[in-house]
Amino acid sequence: MSRTEQAHRYSETEEQQALRGAVADVAAKYGSGYWLEKARANERTIELWAEAGALGYLGANIPEEYGGGGGGIAELAIVCEELAAAGCPLLMIVVSPAIAGTIIARSGTDEQKTAWLPGLAEGTAKLAFAITEPDAGTNSHNLATVARRDNGGWILNGRKTYISGVDESDAVLVVGRTDDEQTGKLRPALFIVPRDTPGFDWKPIEMDVIAPEEQFACFFDDVELPAEALVGGDVAGLDQLFAGLNPERITIAAYANGIARYALEKAVAYANERQVWDVPIGAHQGVSHPLAEAAIQVELARLVTSKAAALHDAGEARAAGEAANMAKLASADAALLTLDRAIQAHGGNGLASEYDLAAYWGVLRVARIAPVSREMILNYVAQHTLGLPRSY
Amino acid sequence: MKIAVCVKHVPDAAVTKRIDPGTKRLDRSGEGSLNPVDANAVEEALRIRDATGDGAEGEVVLVSLGPEKAIDSLRKALAMGADRVLLVSDPDAAGSDLVATSSLLAKALEREGADLVLFGQQASDSDGAVLWAAVAERLRLPLISQVAELTLEGGAVTGKRQTEFGYDVIRAPLPAVVAVADSINEPRYPSLKGIMGAKRKQQDVLSLADLEIEAERAGASGSRTEVLALSDPPPRGETRKLEDDGTGAEKIVEFLAEKRLV
Repeated sequence: MSRTEQAHRYSETEEQQALRGAVADVAAKYGSGYWLEKARANERTIELWAEAGALGYLGANIPEEYGGGGGGIAELAIVCEELAAAGCPLLMIVVSPAIAGTIIARSGTDEQKTAWLPGLAEGTAKLAFAITEPDAGTNSHNLATVARRDNGGWILNGRKTYISGVDESDAVLVVGRTDDEQTGKLRPALFIVPRDTPGFDWKPIEMDVIAPEEQFACFFDDVELPAEALVGGDVAGLDQLFAGLNPERITIAAYANGIARYALEKAVAYANERQVWDVPIGAHQGVSHPLAEAAIQVELARLVTSKAAALHDAGEARAAGEAANMAKLASADAALLTLDRAIQAHGGNGLASEYDLAAYWGVLRVARIAPVSREMILNYVAQHTLGLPRSY
Repeated sequence: MKIAVCVKHVPDAAVTKRIDPGTKRLDRSGEGSLNPVDANAVEEALRIRDATGDGAEGEVVLVSLGPEKAIDSLRKALAMGADRVLLVSDPDAAGSDLVATSSLLAKALEREGADLVLFGQQASDSDGAVLWAAVAERLRLPLISQVAELTLEGGAVTGKRQTEFGYDVIRAPLPAVVAVADSINEPRYPSLKGIMGAKRKQQDVLSLADLEIEAERAGASGSRTEVLALSDPPPRGETRKLEDDGTGAEKIVEFLAEKRLV
């Protein structure tokens, strides 16, 4: 590899840059005003979702044969970041095309692909994703949601919590367990459960987070499902579930990186303009250095995020896992630091509603907890990257 | 229906424009982008092509004169949906004035023989708003400018343009040259598929020799104008800034009255 080629690993392709510009143009038309108005009124970002979907941005990673862009998570992460950088972070990108789209494209049966991928690609269909349980928060090996065979179909029972966007999704991709016919042991399995299936109930969880997406508690009470509801048929296993987790981490990192850029841009504009004595406040190092440090942290987080996306798209699952975990942690930390410093640079205005800044704290704070907590990432890195003893 | 759209790669709106005192030319080394109103011309061409519907026969060709990096802007128009590019790029063509540019573009357009030639009303760097007239003259084609509404019917193009006193409605037989105003449409955003496919579309870069144009007819030697001197615009007079304490409107009226403007 030549030195020039090596350097180009750190820049994007012409198409990726063009995509960035195009998404930024569309997002600029909406901006923070639109997103916050929706969030504060508990409404969904239907218009932006529909426009981004029609332009093919939301299906960047869906295979071309199913109407998608045929790109990778790198492209979807660009879409996610640019929308957020304009003040319009869309959490359902992380859930629907990133997680559900990846899982169905990789492990779905031909029928499932035909039924779901074209809609996911255009944004006309949405899938929520349900893994977290009240009694097995982080421990996905201990899931109590179980499906048993019945009459050629399935009966699903269990509970899920903190599931995003059930109300706006056509169906929920539910992670449960089934009994293996040969061994009799329970093994993970994914089911597509349409929102209106009898026995499936969902209730909003009241959150102190300003967001246009809601969180739900889901209840599955003897939910009868046809055999085809099982993702991938009988052949798929744990791998299919893990296939969706790296895209989730990478796109949530992109989401945080975008909000960080949004906050930084606002802080820089304010620090350049706001003048109390004879120079703009940005001339004071007490203001400029914290923002410069934040800019460095955000750039580092973006670098490891694009590394993770590149590894994932190249099929290097194990290396992608490590990078995606690091990206998720680094991005959430960098973005929270940046938002905090942007607020500080604004003084009291940073907390005033009209400055559209502090309102993003809730959705960013979520990124430090979900989809996997900061602590679990540190456990992973300690054990797998450093070779320290397992802690749990 | 073959539609040629003449587009220009101009310094990006975000870039501070600077004239090189040595060459007396605009410094084009910074970031560039597609001339904004050219996106309206491309949009109109795409709408006409897609409405005509016969698919295979409809074609939108982008024609441009510029440095090789102009291809970046042309790709944006390809991503919007244009079919191919014809870029005239030659070091000897740099610094062409209106007369030389119109001659080069006319030569390229002759090769294409389009039914309709579209221009954006003016370029954001030079703001001349006459190039289309010069090109139409060289091609001996009818011209309609400042078009805010365009319709095609029975081998003729009808353009509606807003004037100070109302609308002019002008009809011209095809082939014709039309310069569009930015009020004609809302340019589409490029779709992901358009972006991914842009690079694979046909992009011909032609030199002056390819167009059989002698070098002396282009660039500085082919130009009829010469920039003799440059100077900064005179500084603005003293500005007064009013903080609005509720009496802002009154103060503005007072100021206008003082200047005898009201």
